[in-house]
Amino acid sequence: MGNDFIQSLTEAVVNYEVEDAVSAAKRALEAGVDPVAAIEEGLAKGVRIVGDKFGAEEIFLPELMVAVEAMKQAMTILKPAINKSSRVEKSLGRVMIGTIEGDIHDIGKSMVGAMLTVAGFEVVDLGTDVSVERFIAKVKEVEPDIVGMSALMTTTMLRMKDVIEGLRKEGLREKVKVVIGGVPTSSEWAKEIGADGHGWNAMEAVKVAKRLLHQPEERS
Amino acid sequence: MDILRGKKKQIDRLPAFNSVGTYTADCMKAFDAYWPEAHRNPVKMAKLGAALHRLAGLESVVVPFGLTVEAEVFGAPVNFFEDSVKWPSVKKFIAKEASDLKVPSRVDDVRQLGRVPVVCEAIRILKREFEAEVPVIAYLCCPFESIGSFLVDSADFLKRCISEPEAIHEFMRVTTPYYAEIANSFKEAGADIITLREEAVSLNNIHPKHFDSLVKPYLKKLVKEVKPPRILHSCGQLWSPNLEVISKLTECGAEALTIEESTPMEKAAEIVSKAELTHALGGNISAYSVIHQGPKEKIQKSVELAIAKGSDMPMPGCDFWLETPTEHVRTFVEAVKDLSADLG
Repeated sequence: MGNDFIQSLTEAVVNYEVEDAVSAAKRALEAGVDPVAAIEEGLAKGVRIVGDKFGAEEIFLPELMVAVEAMKQAMTILKPAINKSSRVEKSLGRVMIGTIEGDIHDIGKSMVGAMLTVAGFEVVDLGTDVSVERFIAKVKEVEPDIVGMSALMTTTMLRMKDVIEGLRKEGLREKVKVVIGGVPTSSEWAKEIGADGHGWNAMEAVKVAKRLLHQPEERS
Repeated sequence: MDILRGKKKQIDRLPAFNSVGTYTADCMKAFDAYWPEAHRNPVKMAKLGAALHRLAGLESVVVPFGLTVEAEVFGAPVNFFEDSVKWPSVKKFIAKEASDLKVPSRVDDVRQLGRVPVVCEAIRILKREFEAEVPVIAYLCCPFESIGSFLVDSADFLKRCISEPEAIHEFMRVTTPYYAEIANSFKEAGADIITLREEAVSLNNIHPKHFDSLVKPYLKKLVKEVKPPRILHSCGQLWSPNLEVISKLTECGAEALTIEESTPMEKAAEIVSKAELTHALGGNISAYSVIHQGPKEKIQKSVELAIAKGSDMPMPGCDFWLETPTEHVRTFVEAVKDLSADLG
């Protein structure tokens, strides 16, 4: 019976139906479905299907974004129920993300955050226009396993270097992995500034995060 | 100019220019035309727009800088980052629906709004000085890019392309005549060429079928209303082994198309060679990893390669980087002149 509820969560994500995802999440909880299973087997499965379609160029950014929105909305219903359930949610690690200062666009970073969350990471999102100083102060405070920085413009991506420099000066560089992303960035740029990884899109970002923290590649 | 008229055979060599942004930090220093002042002062704008022609022999003078002139007309609060040199952006997104935009009652009212008069005055200054020497180019940030990046929350805008396409149509339908009017005011002020930057339509952003339904009808109308010659510029990946949007872009009616380095030049050249309306292709040389980073040999090699792959306008795929050394631009200009000299 639980399978039907889980199946309808997957379908809502795959069909880009935000409202259906919310009502499916509510119905699943009412029926006593384990929220962790609803997320992992229902929503995450849907996002994986959509992610594969994205990779195969069957769908593009807007469809992916609506699917992720459906997933996020359903998560807000399911997450609060987790503590009350019997199973303990296991985190793959804590990732702190933010868009570098000078920009208020955050499509890419939000997608990365959503994909990491559904993959089982704990995500702390600093938002957009995050200054170098704030990145560093927050690393001290949040103690993440990974810091993810996003830049949309060529002019702002230079700031990524400053963050890494700052972390080094503060003696924090060895304590966190640094991953970067965003349209103007590349793996060459990541190497140049001394970051640990680079992700072209949200799906890649999840893979990079898992690889860096020595987690298994993909659970089937 | 002959290339844009489809008369490539009649020219001696290819033009060494850039039809998008041609400002650098060096230029600002050399002519005391710093941002943000050069965005708002027509004399400084003209100085900066012509700087790389004077310093490096670049065969174009280009204004404005950044992509927010049009969004400002519709009410976007532009962030000029006072006291620092940063690309202008917006402080916040002002519109959820098309009715939230500050649309002037008469189309020609846009000529008086925001920085449109500043850009027009800068064009007049440039025209007086450079007529018959190099083309004066003005670029326009087109509706899909302008609205989706600077007026509406970008994530919402993209999501609604599939969840609420009617809302996107409304934005495009209402605003397109105003964008055409801005471009024509640049033209009437003396711009020889208008570059239409519709940059958010690559495979990185939307499916070509959504380009067809949501962008193309309006872009076609815009191109039709703007007096020729027109260069259409688009960023990102426009081609993949499964799909492409290049042929659709050529159907919009601009005389030329310029692309950046994520689209393979040879594929684009193949498609443009079959196009009816667009007969020149350019761009594709990386503004960062080639022109900005150099060295000299890499710049020369890239120009050679672009010409070999069928580029009619071997130019950077984007605005020059702010920190690009003037020497690299000079190398680029000389490479185009030398390497295309025996084409005619």
